[in-house]
This record gives sequence, C-alpha cells and structure tokens, in this order.
Amino acid sequence: MDAQKVDMFIMTNGKFFESHQINVIRERLIALDDSKWAMLSTVQFKDPTTSLIVSLLGGSLGIDRFIIGDTGLGVGKLLTCGGLGIWAIIDWFMIMGATREKNMAKIQQFLY
Amino acid sequence: MHLSRNRLYGILTIACLAGYVWIYLNFSSYSIGNYDNINVCLIKHFTNVPCPSCGSTRSVLSILKGDFLQGFYLNPFGYLLLLILTIVPLWISYDYIKQKNTFFQFYTRAETFLQQKKTAIPAILLVLVNWFWNIYKGL
Repeated sequence: MDAQKVDMFIMTNGKFFESHQINVIRERLIALDDSKWAMLSTVQFKDPTTSLIVSLLGGSLGIDRFIIGDTGLGVGKLLTCGGLGIWAIIDWFMIMGATREKNMAKIQQFLY
Repeated sequence: MHLSRNRLYGILTIACLAGYVWIYLNFSSYSIGNYDNINVCLIKHFTNVPCPSCGSTRSVLSILKGDFLQGFYLNPFGYLLLLILTIVPLWISYDYIKQKNTFFQFYTRAETFLQQKKTAIPAILLVLVNWFWNIYKGL
C-alpha cells in the first residue's frame, strides 16, 4: 500500500494502539494489498480515553469491560461490586491498555 | 477477540480464591441482623446508594447458614455467585488435569450468547430491577 496513505492512517488512528505495536502495523500495512484500504478505513476502533471515563464512572458495575467486549469479565465485575472495589480501581489503570489490545485484535483480522 | 485460556483461568483462580478468603473472613464476624460490618462497595461508600450487587456477601453467608429465603431476599445474585464459586474451581481443575479447554470454550460461547440483543436486553433489565429492589430495600 502507498506509504503516504499508511502514514495518514497511522496519524489518525495511532492513539488507538500501543506505541510498540505501531511499527508492526505500519510495516504490515505497507505490505498489504491496496484493495483492503476501503475496508480498513471504515473500521471503527474503541477510544481508550472513552473507556477510561466509563471506567471511572461505571467501573464498579463492569460497564467498561462490557464496552470493550469483555462480557465475561464485565459480568464478573458486576456481580462482585467491581471485585470488592479492588478490581474496579485496578481497572482504572488497566482499561486503556486493554482497549488498545482489543483494537489490535480487531485490526489484525485485516493485516493477515 | 478473547482472552487466552491460561490468562482466563489465572484470573478466575485468583477471583475464586479471593472470594473464598472474603467469605471466610466474614463468616465468623457475621450474624444475621448485623449489616454494618460489610462496606467495601465504592458506589455505596461515596453515594450511600446500594449498587446492583450490594448485599450479595450477606446473601451468600445466609445461604451457607441455611437461611435460603433470607439469602434470596438480600440479593438473588448470592445464589449465582455461590454457583460460580462451586462450579468454576472444579471445572478449571478438571481442565488442568485432563489438559483440555472445555471451560474456555464454554466461556467464549457464553460470552457471544450474552452479547446477542435478545439475551442482553432481558439481562440488563433483570439487573436494573434487582438494583431498584436493592435501593427500595435500603441494603
């Protein structure tokens, strides 16, 4: 794929991924066929900042985990008052990384 | 888009251990009618409004002491938690011994099942109803 296109993609979507993954994504995208661009540019990623806000407000109910698609863990948090409050606090620090991991898993469907 | 098997099993093992320690710690100090010694819920701590799962510790303890009606009245989630606490460790240790991932498959299937609209909406409604009941009871 065109390097300029790829750099534009990285610029607009870089915040959705871990910094150490961006280089891999860039290399894979450059090697990718141009026909996948249309699909790739329509993929919606979850914003880590949004999930952090949700985690701060509704973390005890597990809503942050539901939003990023971890339904099982969300149910676990919901049933235990956010893991007795401890898990809810841990997730304030974990949820942004978890969101980026989910985004990575999502884009990986297109990269390989 | 799922957790890896070993990570899930690790998290669940820690969660179940924490649950058993929590129940053990409260079992000795809890007597029915004495509700003030359990207060770890962040929502209840800051807003004085009980959350959907407030009262589930007391519910589990009541069930363990044989008071099934009181357990249901305090919070029906107690039954669900007790079920999870008994089944999950057994199932996980079965998987570990037999080197299988039957529980992991069940977990992923349950997750996709819960994400469907026709199950998600009733489940959310049930949780909300339980929440309003909790507020009404003033747990």
